[in-house]
Amino acid sequence: MNRLRQRTFLAIALILVAIGFLILSVAGFLQPVETTILRPVSGVQTWIAVRYNAIRDLLRSPSDITELRQENARLEAEVARLQQEIINLREQATEAEILAALLNYARSQPDNRYTAANVIGRDVSPFLRSIWIGAGSEQDIAQGMPVVTERGLVGRVAEVFATTARIQLITDPEASVNVEFQTSRADGSLSAQLSGELWVELIPQDVEILVNELVLTSGLGGNFPADIPIGSVLSVRRRDVDIFQQAVIEPSVSFTDLDIVLVITNFQPLPFDQVQ
Amino acid sequence: MLGYLLGIPLMILLAVLQSSVVSEITLLEGQLDLILVTTVAWSLAGRSKDAMVLGLIGGLLLDLLSGMPFGSTAIIYVGVLFLTSLLEGQFWGGHLLLPPAITLLASLLVYSYQLGMLYILGRQVSLAYALPRVVLPSTLLNILFALPVYHLLTSLFHRLFPAEVQI
Repeated sequence: MNRLRQRTFLAIALILVAIGFLILSVAGFLQPVETTILRPVSGVQTWIAVRYNAIRDLLRSPSDITELRQENARLEAEVARLQQEIINLREQATEAEILAALLNYARSQPDNRYTAANVIGRDVSPFLRSIWIGAGSEQDIAQGMPVVTERGLVGRVAEVFATTARIQLITDPEASVNVEFQTSRADGSLSAQLSGELWVELIPQDVEILVNELVLTSGLGGNFPADIPIGSVLSVRRRDVDIFQQAVIEPSVSFTDLDIVLVITNFQPLPFDQVQ
Repeated sequence: MLGYLLGIPLMILLAVLQSSVVSEITLLEGQLDLILVTTVAWSLAGRSKDAMVLGLIGGLLLDLLSGMPFGSTAIIYVGVLFLTSLLEGQFWGGHLLLPPAITLLASLLVYSYQLGMLYILGRQVSLAYALPRVVLPSTLLNILFALPVYHLLTSLFHRLFPAEVQI
């Protein structure tokens, strides 16, 4: 009986401690403590993540085709870069036409500045879709900054600590991105389903959306820069009784194989809470 | 004291492994919860007080590496480990099926709590989606690892903490 009482007191005390941490955290008082704890933890995390990724890659491919794989990776990167260039050029051409029509050549788009960061972990909760990167406020990463790879949009910075940051992926149901279709120029709002499937909603009914059409960020709303590729149209759901049509998107980024990402550091986003 | 000296670094290591390695190995969308499995086994192996303290530390570490509010996972871990501690001293306490059975119940409690917490936080929660895709696969993985982890800890504790005789 005495032991049970001791255990009960201990459990109550520990739960009260946890509740205390929860309250302090919600009030924002624990940020320095979390940063201090995360600094050594992220070091270990980076060390393990780099080695785990190397072992994973090694196990995935037979050793005799390693060179071919490296060459293939280089060529894939080159293709991705060229695809990005084509997208940019097409965008520039379309934009140029519109701008010419409007006699407005004055608009200029500043070049993005990037900070590369290793993906050092994923959210430990299976219910959330976010990743951890090995760069934080010491590398000038700030909350709300967009995160991309050479293939397209990954997400945006949700939480920042000194040496790490948590990135909310665009496949998280809480994420929302304003997008436009490259050919039809229609606007819409990208949101992820609980299954991780990406849908573009709020597309006007009078626009013809083509399968395989590229979907880019529109820049509307101020949470992402314009013209970052997101993916291509997989299928379109259009019913006459609805006000809007929907499109299912196949993302250009493979979210399961993220090793390195780029954070766009010169983009001034709206405050994260405001966007949420 | 030796339990904490061993347990706290182990919790840190497991939390990091959970984030960097285990979260990449999934069954559907479910993943093994290393800290839950280890602390439940720790408690069943006869060190329930240590397990509750380690549950608090492990839960806080997981919250640190997650988008969940800091402290929220720690609350349910301590709660679950307290319930597990009630089994200490029962005559059927050494039954072979006890670790997987308790891990099953503990997992269901933890995932239900987490879904409830997400619902309170205003996030989209679908039980119809989460149950077959996340909760049940994660629970299955936890059950599969429950017995090996329990036996590992039991044999470790036999060496580290020889049986005490109460006079």
